[in-house]
Amino acid sequence: MSRGDGGLRDTWWRRTGHSDRTAERSAHEQPAVDRRHALKLMAGIAAMQTTACSAPPEEIVPYVRMPERLVIGNPLRFATSLALNGYARPVIVESHEGRPTKVEGNPDHPASRGATDAFAQAAILSLYDPGRSRVVLQDRQISNWDALLKAVTDVAPTWRSDGSRLRILSGVVTSPTLASQIATVLDAYPGARWHRWQPVNADEVRRGAELAFGRRLEPRYRLDQARTVLSLDADLLGNGPEQVRHAHDFSGNRRARRGTSDLASLHVAEPTLTLTGAQADRRLPLARSAVLGVARALAARWGAPLQQETLPAATLAFVEAVRNELLSRGSDALVAVGEGQPAEVHALGHWLNERIGALGHGVEMIAPVEAEPVDHVGSIKELVADINAGGVDTLILFGGNPAFDAPADLGFGDALKAVRLTIRHGLHDDETSELCHWHVPALHELESWGDLAAPDGAIGIVQPLITPLYDGRSPHELLAALVGRLTASTYEIVRHTWRARANASDFESWWRSVLRDGFIPGTRHAAVAVGPAQLPRLQADIGALASGGFEIVFSPDPAAWDGSFAENAWLQELSRPFTKLTWGNAAHLAPKDAQALGVSDGDRVLLSAGRSQIEIPAAVMPGQVSGTIALTLGCGRRTGAIARDIGTDLYPLRTTASLWNRLGVVLSRGSGHVVFPTTQGERMEGRDLVRSLTSAEFASGPPYEEALPVSLYTAAPRRTHDPYAWAMVIDQSVCIGCNACIAACQAENNTPVVGPDEIRNHRDMHWLRVDVYFRGLPEAPAVAFQPVPCMHCEKAPCEPVCPVEASVHDSEGLNVQVYNRCIGTRFCQANCPYKVRRFNFYGYADGQEYSNLGDPLLEAVHNPDVSVRARGVMEKCTYCVQRISRARRSAEKEDRIIADGEVVTACQQACPVDALVFGNLNDPSSRVSRLRHEPHHYALLGELGTRPRTTYLAQVRQAFPDRSAPPWADR
Amino acid sequence: MSEAVAHPAAEAPSGATYLPRDATYGSITRDIAAPVFAPAGWRWWTAFLVTLALTLVMIFAILWLFIEGVGIWGVNADVVWGFAITNYVWWIGIGNAGTLISSMLLLTRQRWRASINRFAEAMTLFAAAIAGLFPILHLGRPYLFYWLVPYPNVMTLWPQWRSPLVWDLFAIASYIIFSLLFWYTGLIPDLASLRDRARTRFGQLVFGAFALGWRGSARQWRRFDAFYWAMAAMAVPLVISLHSVVGLDFAAGLMPGWQETIFPPYFVVGAMFSGFAMVVTLAVPIRWGLRLETFITPAHFDAMAKILLMGSIIMGASYATEWFLAWYAGNVAERLVTQFELSGSYAPLYWLMLLFNVALPQLFWWRRTRRSLSAIFAIAILINVGMWLERLLIILNTLSHAYLPARWSDYAPTVWDWALLLGTLGFFTFLFVCFVRLVPAVSMHEVRQLAHAQAELEDDDAVLA
Repeated sequence: MSRGDGGLRDTWWRRTGHSDRTAERSAHEQPAVDRRHALKLMAGIAAMQTTACSAPPEEIVPYVRMPERLVIGNPLRFATSLALNGYARPVIVESHEGRPTKVEGNPDHPASRGATDAFAQAAILSLYDPGRSRVVLQDRQISNWDALLKAVTDVAPTWRSDGSRLRILSGVVTSPTLASQIATVLDAYPGARWHRWQPVNADEVRRGAELAFGRRLEPRYRLDQARTVLSLDADLLGNGPEQVRHAHDFSGNRRARRGTSDLASLHVAEPTLTLTGAQADRRLPLARSAVLGVARALAARWGAPLQQETLPAATLAFVEAVRNELLSRGSDALVAVGEGQPAEVHALGHWLNERIGALGHGVEMIAPVEAEPVDHVGSIKELVADINAGGVDTLILFGGNPAFDAPADLGFGDALKAVRLTIRHGLHDDETSELCHWHVPALHELESWGDLAAPDGAIGIVQPLITPLYDGRSPHELLAALVGRLTASTYEIVRHTWRARANASDFESWWRSVLRDGFIPGTRHAAVAVGPAQLPRLQADIGALASGGFEIVFSPDPAAWDGSFAENAWLQELSRPFTKLTWGNAAHLAPKDAQALGVSDGDRVLLSAGRSQIEIPAAVMPGQVSGTIALTLGCGRRTGAIARDIGTDLYPLRTTASLWNRLGVVLSRGSGHVVFPTTQGERMEGRDLVRSLTSAEFASGPPYEEALPVSLYTAAPRRTHDPYAWAMVIDQSVCIGCNACIAACQAENNTPVVGPDEIRNHRDMHWLRVDVYFRGLPEAPAVAFQPVPCMHCEKAPCEPVCPVEASVHDSEGLNVQVYNRCIGTRFCQANCPYKVRRFNFYGYADGQEYSNLGDPLLEAVHNPDVSVRARGVMEKCTYCVQRISRARRSAEKEDRIIADGEVVTACQQACPVDALVFGNLNDPSSRVSRLRHEPHHYALLGELGTRPRTTYLAQVRQAFPDRSAPPWADR
Repeated sequence: MSEAVAHPAAEAPSGATYLPRDATYGSITRDIAAPVFAPAGWRWWTAFLVTLALTLVMIFAILWLFIEGVGIWGVNADVVWGFAITNYVWWIGIGNAGTLISSMLLLTRQRWRASINRFAEAMTLFAAAIAGLFPILHLGRPYLFYWLVPYPNVMTLWPQWRSPLVWDLFAIASYIIFSLLFWYTGLIPDLASLRDRARTRFGQLVFGAFALGWRGSARQWRRFDAFYWAMAAMAVPLVISLHSVVGLDFAAGLMPGWQETIFPPYFVVGAMFSGFAMVVTLAVPIRWGLRLETFITPAHFDAMAKILLMGSIIMGASYATEWFLAWYAGNVAERLVTQFELSGSYAPLYWLMLLFNVALPQLFWWRRTRRSLSAIFAIAILINVGMWLERLLIILNTLSHAYLPARWSDYAPTVWDWALLLGTLGFFTFLFVCFVRLVPAVSMHEVRQLAHAQAELEDDDAVLA
């Protein structure tokens, strides 16, 4: 068990208490304090200070001054923004008595519409993360903010005359306040420079726009405008700041309902299976380096004077089919190009979009939202070159983790050590901080004021929901200190920016309305009118695969992103959509390649490229193109209680020249095998557990008869004496498998983290899982996601077998679990056909937590409306009964019944595509009742007669004239 | 069922080969009572110390379980049951045979049972007691096991009567109580003999107290016989119902591989089968250790081997019925589980189980095997292993390969699973080792009756001659 860390933590606490007592006693008994005792006292006092700011106070005292609008027991909600890759995601955060516990999307903002991604859901855990850095460090020793201020003010005068030896390094900055503060610093110290490094950057995107339009712009894809989308290696629906908006917009045209005849279609050419590829109606597995060939061939079909290369038959067929499809849709089509593609492909994409009429319609070009946009690779390259040339004395790093994630060929870590004064501002004492002279703990976004811009440019105000837990500082304070404003408050700094920009007669009421809405109206970037797109100049044979060797394609990790979320245990335990792998990454190999090499899931392989070599366990990825190895970044961190040694670090293979793909990689068998922590065993199956239809089949009539077994009993009459019969319908046509629902469930229902060893023991605790099924050939499979919460069966098999009536039915049709009554026979789970119950084999939330998750501070993350379960107790999805309860309370106060849509389960609320619909079956007009009458409605394992309340809508996919059957039909 | 047991035994002429011709009442009592009064030899001490060590292993395994939780076992979120339930079903099966042998053979007037029924009943008692531990140990919150008992409480809650686990509680509890009474009743005349033979005041007092004032009068014998026979008549349906309930633990479920009407009878026969195998396994060392060769003869083993043979045939038929019905019923999930049984992750164990339970016992068709002590001992042990595997696989195959492929996962036991299994085996033997030193391992009064019957038979022969 690697719960050993938890043991260490216990030891540490005990020792603290012990030294406290020793100190106390010695103070009483011995009037003379000798050196030994003085040290003990100091240790005791230091420890007391750390306890004082982490442990919640134990006394219960009433508020002396009641905060405005607060009713004890009722949560308050505040609009704010959370950053992902530097961009804002608008959210509403729920706070219980001053303690933020849950993140929801901001329904008023088009980038959210009430939904979130998994990262936003997990932000709460990052806030309370006991692994966050707590004190200012100088040369790895505990120091303080004042000492840092002194150090800065000592050297600042030397910058005034010549600032060129002062450098600032940050990630993507979209905050106007931060940008203007940096500008102030650069003004104050002439010659000082601001460098940027974000591992997942848009360098190629902007360069592509420059090639096409002569300006650095960024495309925004409006999938709601498109009936046909061609994605050239663009993971539109994958993780990222735009995921929620893309998914929402796309799903709008993919929802099959009675009478729907035309669904939007999606065509994807990509090297490895992504969330976008999983939704594709036509998918071409294609190496990243070969996408250019497809783009070129397509452009040629629209008359571009380009030299053609000979394409394989499958690729050619794809190009032809996509061309016809794009032509037939007119301007209701768009071409999207992924960030990993070179600028030329982006330029070709723009050119194509202009030809089909998508430009200004489905695709808008906007000015980059990033402040002072630069080429990130170029920027960090320049910084390292200057350091190596001895031109940098002081480097101030904001956020990021360049010592971990900078391109390997730069040797950033070594360069960092050569700088005379390095100051690092960050949330964690990480790889970069270890190499810096100073480390300043940052504030979490939920502790600090600030502002951020969403990918569409709309500015969101970041407002704190809690007093800083540790002695952290905002970047604004540090930047203000650099120009001598040592006592500036972040709040005033942010307000100062907006006082100047608000242009409102009454700033205070403007400010209040902005805080209420969460974003500032009128700050969206307008689409830029662009001239005709130019065709890029192409080298003759750029698209061909380099002869020999494999091609590595990099992408951000669905859980760790670029490494910045690796400390988050909720995200680490979220299973990757296709491999169901948790806690770490793998080298994804095409089935054919894996077979040729003789490796299967978990076998270690060696990847050698240039002088770098990496050993990493392999995972076979259906749908991946042969000849490529897909790797996700961000794992294998070297610091952090949670992140350390989880997965394999792949940054050593990522260089400035091969940021997104690396050619000529040698793949060979490594030694050894690891057992993956996966949450889903088998990935193939042959039964109709997941049902799917082509749109033609869907249109031609009701496909499913209610498949109940013949019974001597009449169908049980639905209870009529109760106004409610709760049920859920899950639409598999639109589910993109993004895991936001799982993360939301975890946050809402206090689901514990079990850790990699327990996942390996198949003891996951998620109440909701997303099963993935593949059909067809492993090289080109069709994919279906099936979210499986508790089915709340009307004839629940778990109920009669429980000897103590811990599993019972309530009058509203909920199958409820009485934790206090449960003695843990586990018969209910043994008898559950859906296997949705979860058992506390250890006290995962109760004394036997994984790693540092038993820290007292983390009790603050719990939703007070949901009990935390003890060891030996069975638990499961409750349909968020606490939310039903809350709605019932307010309905009863008004003497009415709960309206449709008033109860929104956590999973439903987070879902960006509205795939989960919850409601009252006793109300025939409710959404869920109507969905139950859809022709493609079915119950999972309905033939067992369990009469589940959670049911599904079959997956409906477009059928194409050139292919009468969808791809999965060719078994 | 009853024919199955009665038939092979009925062949044996009453008693003729089960006792030496020169056995007298005196010699019988002396030989059987000797181990109780004689100082313990090295054989006993070795057995005592080894089993004591294993008992300590069990105690430690249980303590650690209570400290850490059921997470120390190999069970997981899909295969929620593992060794604990397997052990429970296996031990309760073994616990079945003592009473079955004793009562059924008594009712069918198989007098040869006299030599084995005492320790078979002790075996029942110990096995049932150990079996009763497992349903409690396997609970997530074992300290709340009494919530299964219907008692008036402030929560005003009763147990859930539809749950087979509640039926189980009643079945086990009544069975343990019954087995204890049945065993003790049969022991009373022998306790009186021990009281009369005891040399020490302490022995006289203890044995005297437990003998309940037995004098051996005709009146007492008449009452004794009436009571004992009545209990025996009750025992048979009780044993059958007990194991039917254990079968219902699974059959009342909805899972493929469990929801089968054959389960109750199949479990009863399985219990009888494994119980007889255990009796054989115990009879061999007891006979050797206590020098009871006079009373437990090859003829006894021959009779028991025939019963094992019959059991193996019925087990084979049950397995075949399962396969046939899985195919015939046309239920996909059921077929997949059967397929998984025969070729999945646990298939080697399954084939081993078939070998031990069905194939190997067929050697008992040959008289030479039945009469060979080492052969019958080895096969009996393998049958025990096979029956344990059967119980394990009933659980694992279904839970590892249930309805949704997304939740198919394999089970792997941990060191604590093994420690508890070994520990309880040790504890069982430990109890046995103590038992043979405290009370006569063979029923003296019944062997005396056997000798009497044998003498009468010889007299008849003499008259005829």
